[in-house]
Parts: sequence; structure tokens; C-alpha cells
Amino acid sequence: MTFTALLTKELRLRLRRERFVWLIIIYLLVMGLLGFGFLQRANVFSGGYQGYLLSQIGAQLYALLSFIQLFLIVFITPAFTATAINGEKERQTFDLLLCSKLSAFSLLAGKLIAGLVNVLLLIAAAIPLFSLVFFFGGVSPFQVLNTLVIFIITAIVIGTFGLFCSTLIHRPTASTAVAYTFCAFWLFAYPVISILTLGGSIPANSRWYIWIQWLNAWNPISALNSVVSSVQSGASNFYLFRVHLAPWIAFTLVSLMVAIILFLLSIVFVKPDPVGRFLPWFRDLGKKSEQS
Amino acid sequence: MINIQHIYKRYRSVHALEDFSLEIPLGAIFGLIGPNGAGKTTLLRILGALIPPTSGQVWFGDEEVTQSPTMIQRKVGYMPDFFGVYSDLTSEEYLEFYAGIHGISRRKSTKVVSDLLELVDLTAKRNALVETLSRGMQQRLCLARALIHDPDVLLLDEPASGLDPRARVEFRELLLTLQSMGKTIVISSHILLELAEMCSDIAIIRAGQLVMAGNVEQVTHSLGGGNQIEIRVLERATDAKQLLKEMPEIRNILDDNDVSELIQAEFNGDNQALHRILAELIAHDIPVISFAPRRAVERLEEVYMNITEGASVL
Repeated sequence: MTFTALLTKELRLRLRRERFVWLIIIYLLVMGLLGFGFLQRANVFSGGYQGYLLSQIGAQLYALLSFIQLFLIVFITPAFTATAINGEKERQTFDLLLCSKLSAFSLLAGKLIAGLVNVLLLIAAAIPLFSLVFFFGGVSPFQVLNTLVIFIITAIVIGTFGLFCSTLIHRPTASTAVAYTFCAFWLFAYPVISILTLGGSIPANSRWYIWIQWLNAWNPISALNSVVSSVQSGASNFYLFRVHLAPWIAFTLVSLMVAIILFLLSIVFVKPDPVGRFLPWFRDLGKKSEQS
Repeated sequence: MINIQHIYKRYRSVHALEDFSLEIPLGAIFGLIGPNGAGKTTLLRILGALIPPTSGQVWFGDEEVTQSPTMIQRKVGYMPDFFGVYSDLTSEEYLEFYAGIHGISRRKSTKVVSDLLELVDLTAKRNALVETLSRGMQQRLCLARALIHDPDVLLLDEPASGLDPRARVEFRELLLTLQSMGKTIVISSHILLELAEMCSDIAIIRAGQLVMAGNVEQVTHSLGGGNQIEIRVLERATDAKQLLKEMPEIRNILDDNDVSELIQAEFNGDNQALHRILAELIAHDIPVISFAPRRAVERLEEVYMNITEGASVL
């Protein structure tokens, strides 16, 4: 009940703001204009939508829209969660939440879900634009589903990281800056490293190679590229957790692990006196284990 | 009874409270008075189990705050010095949200919210956005929010600051209504008259330490601020002073050597005593121009200013 009350309040506050309407409008305009520009170029270079190129145009348009959507999600999500907790502190409403029956889990889950609902609304608003692709073909329903999973997982990771920052960092501007820095690192660390190492110059059995492999597995661009790329091959699978995994599955698993860890850390730090709060719990646990 | 025993609170090198002990009787309107930075907000936050003391104990009856903070938070309604409102919600939605996070069911919360809006006289504004309410209305809405879970104790941090005189009177009436409902109310303020008007007991805090606590009259008397009377005569000031000295109601003549026509004296007793003093002066043909008693409560500000002189840190 406490969770529902918080979620309802958050959604009311967020969706009532005029800036959210403008955000949807700008979001769709950016995607629509870039998609339209691509179609214009495709029209010029292919000399009209020749039948044998249609599926190729569809796949390329889908890839373009997907990458734009990914970048927009990365750009927008921190704004929804990176000030969730410290914003309450700044508004001096946090004490009032502490005085209630709201648990740390409900507080954070409510804030996270409210932030993610905003992102999901943006993704949903872009569906009509994406459906243009089906005029051309070249994209399978499985690809659409995988892409959607990558979008949602990306939003969850950034959302939980933003939330984590907002629990640890006192100033909203600072937490937002840290969240955006993380996003930039997350997106571009692997591409930059792979360019620097020029692929294959690091031996496959070295420790660095394993780290880079993990970084690649956790990179949303790599995951999305593997899904939208017209060349699908099992060769690009990752060998993680002692099994061969498709990039999008590896990305999903690693991301969920990271998100869960960040969420748990946020639970620890969101309320005052993190050590004192959990001491009785650990004592009880110790007593139970002694009794057993 | 809320029993505060030898609490200390330190923020790194700053000592916000030092060996602070106090008893707050149940059902009282208890005022915490002190200059900015005296430690009032820290004390209220400790009482509300929002922060633990560095050492010492706070008992609400049989329960110690640090041992059962959740239990205490359910007994306490806290209103911070800053309103802390969500401006894009309506008054009703605002209270419904707090009802929800206090675990009040949806069906029950509708009635609770309606009752509270009526109590704070905001029924007509139930669908108005919080940002459109006046400061006094927002203050009353915050009080309603603090009452949403029907707490036994209300902790109000600087509740009347920034209110106009009318809103302040309305707020005082509201607090008296709540006291009659059996609530214990702890109010902090640095504006003394504001508290003297509404509190049954007060505690004066200075630099994290308790200076004095008790009934308003007792505190004023203890600090040398008893009832005073100012009498201005047209002439025969010396005769008037002599006459006053002989009266049992008069404790002391201030500035006895002053030969001006303004006589200041400390007196004991009630309005009957005042009447007797005035009647005696007139009976002896003393030409009294003005006769102005100043009760202890009215002099509290003066006493407080002397005590807290130079103590403000802001």
C-alpha cells in the first residue's frame, strides 16, 4: 500500500509537468526527422524504392531508429532518477517520508518504477515511428523483441545507477553529473578501448582480454548492434558464465546483475545510519544460527 | 511523559546538544525557545527518531527512541521548519499520499483526509493545487499532514514563522483544539511571544544546553522577570513610592532613587491586587496619569533577550 501511494504520487507529479509533454514532442521530432532524412537519402541513392532494396532499407531504417532511441534513452533516463532521493532532501520532504511506514525498498522501488514508466512512455510513443519499418520489411519480430529488451534493460541500469547516485550524493546537480559521466563511460568505454587496441592485439588468454570481453558483453551499443545488424552469426557470441551466450542475453544478464547490486546498495544507504540500521538484523541472524 | 536524559549530539566538531535533560508532560503545549543554532531542530529530530543522539536516551513512556525508532515514528507527527510540500498536487492528493505511506487503507483515508481538511479549515481548497495556497493555508495543510496517522505527540519546528498575525491567531486556536483532543505538542521557535501566547510550559535552550524549563510564569519568575507595574504620576512621586512600599502586594520598587514621575515596581498577585494598588493610590490623592501592569508573560521577551544575548550563531 505504501509503495502504491508513492508510485501514484510520483506519476502524478511527473506526468502533470508541462515539460514532460514537451519532452515527448521533442523526442518524437528528433526520431522522426532523422528517420525522414534517412529515407530521403535512401530514395536518392537507390533511385527510388527498388523492390530488391526495400528489405535492406527497412533493416537500415530500423537500425538507425534503434540507435537513436538507445542514445535518447541514455540521455534522458538519468534526468528521471538521478535526483529522486536527494531531490526529496533538497525539497525537505525526505524526513516526512522517513517518518512514515515506507520501507527503504518501497521508497526506492517506487522512485525507480516511476522513472522507468516515463522512459517506457517515450518508448511506447515511438512505436508508430518504428512501425514504418514494416512497410519495407527486413526486420523479424524476434529482432523487435530483442531490441525492446535492450532498451528496457538499458533504462533499468541507468535508472538504478541514477538512483544510487541520488542516495549517496547530497546535491542533485552533482548526482546528475555523475550519472551522465557513467552513461558516457558505459556507452563509449568499449568502442574506445577496441579502437585503441585495434582488435586482436591483446592475447585471448590475458586478463585484459577477459575484462574487455566483459565490457563488451555489458555494452548496450554492442548488444544492440548484434540485434539490428543484418549479419547475424553465432561467432559473435560471448563465452560468459561458462556458456556461450548471444550478445543480447549476455548484456541482459550482466546488466540485471549490476542493477540488482546497485539497487541493494541504494537500500543500504538511503536511510540514515546504514550500519546501525542493519546491526539488529545481523544480531538476530547470528542468534538464529547459534540456536540452530 | 517524554523523558530526555543526558543527550549529546555532535556533528563532527560541532556540539549541537550537550548533556541535555528535559521532561515534557503529556498533554502539554511545550515550547522550545532559543536563538538560531541553539539546537532546537536537532532536539526535535532526535525526538522524532529521525537522527540518533550521539549519547543519552529519550523515553516515550516505556519506549526508548533509539531502540524502537519505527514505533516512535508512528506515535509522532513531525512538521519541519520548511513546509516541504509537493506543489503539483492538490491538497486532497497531498494528504492522501501521506495517508497511503502511513499504511491507511484507501477507503479509510478518504474519511481521514476529509476530517483533517475540515479541522484545518481547508475543505473549500481540497481540489486546489498546493502551490496556489497562501502561506498560512500551506502551514495548516502541513499540520494536517502531521496529524494524518493520529499521532499522540506533535513536533512542530518553527510552525508560525512567516505567518501574518491573523494566520498566527488561527494557528494558535488550532493548536489549542488539538491540545483539547489530548495531543502533546512540542513547538520550537526563536520568537518568544509567539510561544508565550500558546504554551503551557517552556524550555529555554542556549548553545545546546538547557537554561531553564517549566511553567511559563515559573520560568519568568525564576529568571528575574516577575510581574511589573508602571505607574506615571503628575506629581508627588516620592509619596507614591512610599505608599507603594507599604503595600504587601508590592515586592520591590525599581530605581528607587529615580525622582522622575515614572514608577516601576514588581508586584505579586492577580487583578484584584492591581485594583487594590490603584484604589489605594487614588484614595491618597496621588495624581495617577497612567497605570500599566505588565504580566510576566509579556516580559518574557525581555528576559529571553538578556539570557540569549550574543548566542545566535546565524
